[in-house]
Amino acid sequence: MKIKAIYILGAALLWSQFGFAQSEDEPKLEINGFVRNYTGVLLAPPNEYSIIQNTLNLEFRLQSDKFALYANPYYFQYPNKDDEFKLREAYVDIYLDKFDFRVGKQQIVWGQADGVFITDIVSPLDLTDFLLRDFNEIRIGVNAAKINYYPNYDHSFELVLIPSFTPSIFPSDIWEPTIDFPAPPTFDTSNIEVPFSLESSEVFLKYSLSKSWADIQLMGAYTWDDAPTMHVTQIAPPDPNAPSLLIKPEYHRLALAGMSFNTDIQGFVLRGEGAYYFDKYYQTLDPTAKDALVQKNFINYVVGLDKSIGDWKLSAQFIQRVIIDYDESIKDEEVDNLATLLISKSMFRETVRLEWFSYYGFNNNDALMRIRGFYYPMDAVSLELGANIFTGSKGMFGQYDDNDMMYVRIKYNF
Amino acid sequence: MNNNQNFNKMKNLKLITATLGIALLAAIIPVKLKAQTGEEIAWKVYNRASPSDGESDMTMTLINSKGKERVRYLHQFLKDYEEVEKKVMFFKAPADVKNTSFLNYSYDDDRDDDQWLYLPALKKVKRISGGSKDDYFMGSDFTYEDLEKRSPKKDVHKLLKQETLNGEQCYVIESTPKEEGQYSKRVAWVIKDKWIPLKIEFYDEDEELLKVLTIPEFKQINGYWTIITQDMRNVQRSHKTVIKLSNIELEKGLGDEKFTQRAMMKGL
Repeated sequence: MKIKAIYILGAALLWSQFGFAQSEDEPKLEINGFVRNYTGVLLAPPNEYSIIQNTLNLEFRLQSDKFALYANPYYFQYPNKDDEFKLREAYVDIYLDKFDFRVGKQQIVWGQADGVFITDIVSPLDLTDFLLRDFNEIRIGVNAAKINYYPNYDHSFELVLIPSFTPSIFPSDIWEPTIDFPAPPTFDTSNIEVPFSLESSEVFLKYSLSKSWADIQLMGAYTWDDAPTMHVTQIAPPDPNAPSLLIKPEYHRLALAGMSFNTDIQGFVLRGEGAYYFDKYYQTLDPTAKDALVQKNFINYVVGLDKSIGDWKLSAQFIQRVIIDYDESIKDEEVDNLATLLISKSMFRETVRLEWFSYYGFNNNDALMRIRGFYYPMDAVSLELGANIFTGSKGMFGQYDDNDMMYVRIKYNF
Repeated sequence: MNNNQNFNKMKNLKLITATLGIALLAAIIPVKLKAQTGEEIAWKVYNRASPSDGESDMTMTLINSKGKERVRYLHQFLKDYEEVEKKVMFFKAPADVKNTSFLNYSYDDDRDDDQWLYLPALKKVKRISGGSKDDYFMGSDFTYEDLEKRSPKKDVHKLLKQETLNGEQCYVIESTPKEEGQYSKRVAWVIKDKWIPLKIEFYDEDEELLKVLTIPEFKQINGYWTIITQDMRNVQRSHKTVIKLSNIELEKGLGDEKFTQRAMMKGL
């Protein structure tokens, strides 16, 4: 695998030195990518490595005025676990006067929020390393057909059809969440597969209005919940004093309708998005509930404000999720509040940048603080030194209180 | 999230009006030579003829005090809609910002510019907030205001003298802002028959010389005097920035579709 990656890198570097554009009408081939080392160490003794990852990321693009071919293979090499060599995206674009078509494996990004996913639910997430991957590496490409229709310059429609369901990848290794079961669980994954059929396909529709005073999007989706629902039943134990739980994970349908917007007000960018989700399954303690589940609608929204002042960039977001028609037996809280804050400062003619990005969960008083410094000694080369600090004892971030880490990333783009 | 680096760089891209050589330093209609006041000269520079649209390649070279260079390559399209000027810029190099694009709407009235940024790694177009006009553009020695068309109404102009510079007969005018700004004054050498400032000195708040802009190369394209190369040198910090245009095409009849979010995402 390593030799294969080295060959690919060598070929890509060689090819990228040549220009392939013969004329404006002829397709031109471009090869770009990056190599990166990412090494992190846990701050808690015995200071084990949280990650050692070497990356080769390649992008091949053959483009003309009427069509494009694109492929983005990547290779993660780990000294301490299995390597990963996959295609993040591989698709064909066709450009017509009022239509664009994209068919193939693709990442699709919707919405206005940064770091939270409300209407941005087309591509599932790779949460192997929790939320610490770059955003373009956290989304999983889906096999989809995407059609964009532009009746004029201000309005557009986007239709996405996904014939095969791709679930999110959940945190693993040191990021695996701890779940307390009231009794020893037995897992039965016989229902976890979503069959490949027309009935199983997903459909997403978005309308966009783009004006100088605002950008507005309306969206709707008939999709799958990317997280499996745990169907829990108590099974008859051999020892009546030691009850056991049978847990059957299963994916369920999810429908939603939402909107997003952004606008500039006196030099501040105000942006937001929200969605109403229908019939999501929640765990309940109600003993009469089948499989310990109840279906509820919920609302999820974010409001954010951005401002640039000189070399400073400030951005804050407030995110709230509310379960409709809540009852007290539901394990999740009725209202969940979250905030994010970004403070960034560039210096020395943009060769140095310092950044603070944090999530704060109000319900559990927990947080993730990402403090980073970037140094760009030359074009296309970056050296990043950072720390990820988790605070709190429970909640989305507090559960990782033992995973505070420092890391260094060295990256070369070509 | 490394794309935040790109975001920071790109959000600084507002108002690069001068890059097509049609803004502050642009050409003007030849007029009959006569005695001029400082204000008349400033208005002649401001009221220059400019093309309705155009495109060009652009190279921006940042040179530090040790002579080390960093180079950015772009391609840009511009179209004047009378009340609004639309501009879209595509980054070609270096590799970490390649295929990033920036769309700017600049209004004739006092409205702030509207700006959007497309980062290919994020795969979405973001509206970005306008920074201060005193901010430096992409880490260069040009502030946004340096690259903008500045109304003569904002300054008091005085004709200091007439002299020859680089073989061109020039008026030397001093422009002092009526309201406090990033510079205490500017002194410009304006070519008499072309109305292009061949050189501008910028003085800081302490009235010390801060920067010197020179125009090593300009030429007439489609009847418009166009700045080809601009050299901005910070004399206090001994670094400079050179902006050079090439493959300039004016009055192409560019379509409106060039200045849309769809075009930003599609790229060059």
